[in-house]
Amino acid sequence: MLLQQIINGIVVGSVYSLTAMGVTLIYSILRILDIACAGAYALGAYVGLFSYVATGNLLLSFLIGMIAMGVWGIFVQKFFYLPLLGKSPLISLVTSIGLFILLGDFIRLWAGPLIRDFPTDLKLPFSGIRTENLTIMPVWILVLLTTAILLFILWYLITKTKIGLAWRATAQDLETAKAMGINVNVVVAFNFFLGYSFAAAAGIMIGIMYNYIFPTMGDVPAYKMLAIIVLGGLGNPVGAVVAAMLIGLIETLVGGYIGFFLPRDSIAFIVVIIMLLIKPQGLFVRKNI
Amino acid sequence: MFNFKKIGLMGLVMVFLLASSFLIVFGAEKPIKLGFFAPITGPAAADGESCLQAAQLAVKLLNEGGGINGVPVELVYYDDAFSPPQAVSIAQKLTTKDGVVAVVSGSYSHTTRASAETYQNAKIPMISAYGVHPDITRAGDYVFRQSFVGTVQGRAAAEVAIKLLSAKTVSVLHVDNDFGTVLAKSFIETAEKKGVKILSVDSFSIGEREFTPALTKIKQENPDILFMVAYAGEGAQIILQADAIGLNCQKLGTEGVDSTMQFLKVAGEKADGLVITTNLNRDSERAEVQNFIKAFTAEYGYAPDMVGASVFDAFTVLGYVMKNYGASAQEIQQGLYKVKDFPAVTGIIKGYNKLGEVTKTVQVQKVVNGEFHYFSEITDPEVVAPPTL
Repeated sequence: MLLQQIINGIVVGSVYSLTAMGVTLIYSILRILDIACAGAYALGAYVGLFSYVATGNLLLSFLIGMIAMGVWGIFVQKFFYLPLLGKSPLISLVTSIGLFILLGDFIRLWAGPLIRDFPTDLKLPFSGIRTENLTIMPVWILVLLTTAILLFILWYLITKTKIGLAWRATAQDLETAKAMGINVNVVVAFNFFLGYSFAAAAGIMIGIMYNYIFPTMGDVPAYKMLAIIVLGGLGNPVGAVVAAMLIGLIETLVGGYIGFFLPRDSIAFIVVIIMLLIKPQGLFVRKNI
Repeated sequence: MFNFKKIGLMGLVMVFLLASSFLIVFGAEKPIKLGFFAPITGPAAADGESCLQAAQLAVKLLNEGGGINGVPVELVYYDDAFSPPQAVSIAQKLTTKDGVVAVVSGSYSHTTRASAETYQNAKIPMISAYGVHPDITRAGDYVFRQSFVGTVQGRAAAEVAIKLLSAKTVSVLHVDNDFGTVLAKSFIETAEKKGVKILSVDSFSIGEREFTPALTKIKQENPDILFMVAYAGEGAQIILQADAIGLNCQKLGTEGVDSTMQFLKVAGEKADGLVITTNLNRDSERAEVQNFIKAFTAEYGYAPDMVGASVFDAFTVLGYVMKNYGASAQEIQQGLYKVKDFPAVTGIIKGYNKLGEVTKTVQVQKVVNGEFHYFSEITDPEVVAPPTL
């Protein structure tokens, strides 16, 4: 049973890590908490579902969902966040909450309030494991693989490419990077594109894994992301992944062994509170802040 | 020679006469206003929409049938957004500004409970269509309940578990709001009294989608029955994930998952075999049931669920009372207490007791080939008798 619970925890954690990645990336550059990223998560799932229904190709619908949300991200940063840059971060926070609510209601009006099933007839090239004591569903493997691939791509982009170098420079110090001739606008746009497309991928994956999506599906991620990125040391991509896995595991183990003495979603915040008491800077500190 | 002007003028006069005679027959009297609120936006928006559609259908059918003795009915509706404060301000608006004679709540327990007192104080009768919390009707003698209270359903579910499914051990998994706690509590009390062993009780919040931790634990306990008090979204996940990890015991659900669109479609064939307690018997041969299902499906393009049927019934009961006992708030309140053996979609309403609680039988449905079908009916008066306090 322990092994089963650990596997459950890792699957949950890997979805969390993708969901939180968008906010982490955005925070690392602009130092704003972008709640609206959870809106891209929900909307991305819908775009993914509708393109899957239209095309029948899962990979293609992943791409359409991710690109559509990425473009939306570029739009959002250009018309909402960049004009607010330099003002109090509270203003962008309120903006992002407003955007998030707007997106939720947009989905409700567009696709209706009903829970929708995600009718994937997955033909995966691998099968799961199913014994008396251990179950690994094929879709879990898909989730783990997709997360690994996406995180690898992210790692490669940030550490091995030129835009990645510009990204790291901008994350360290936006003003200095600008002074050094880095086109910050492109970096910020790239950043939002990545962040929002990751959120969309997470949304689509959740839709496939649980076989349902609904307009307010972004509500829980909207605040759980906060716990994850605070725990991971604000704006640190590696920290966010570790924190997501940790929260996934803790939630699962607490639920499995102690029982839900509190709503499961509150566990993440208890972990954060303990963390803030012991090590207020988060698990992984960015030395440059 | 035709004088077009003259003909035109005569035509106008005739149209005017026709219109005014129509007005005298139907529209001269002011319409009777009925209030309604439901969570049309927010996390329960799907139920809210289904309820609003059922309410609009009920009012439409009432008007097509000649209104209330010739006077048309008008629906005044609001969105409570799943929020109790919102529900209270709606109650104030409905009772002070809108001039409604009665109100139907198409909302959950927490919102209905919060606003019940306002209707009581204003002496405007309010019928809760499907809220299960016992406190709703305790607000006073102007507050009624159209579906059975949670304690009744919990008892009925225990009856199903013991008598129909011969369970000796049960694990409970419930949503941690009014609906879940009331049902689980009454189920556990009844079951334990009758010698059933409760192996574990776990709760989760609305919107939860990861049940494998709890289900893995329950699998170890190896119960005869998993009693799940959940709504459609969470319920479907429990069914799917239980199947994924190989928890194959009999599952017993409640009216919370009684939705073709949102539950059966998501859970698919894995839901087969699930037994639920509810108030809607889709297999009933009574004309009220079949006509409602037909009319709703024709109007909105999907099969109605239990919340919609409950709201529809609340309006038909109001229509019946207004036709027979008068359409003022006071007359409606008095009339509701006089209702006896009224054939509603969700069963025969035997009547409302002093507390405003309905007496009707509890339906037991089973999922067969992806559809809800008749399994049994709990009629034992001891089980279905509503509380009087």
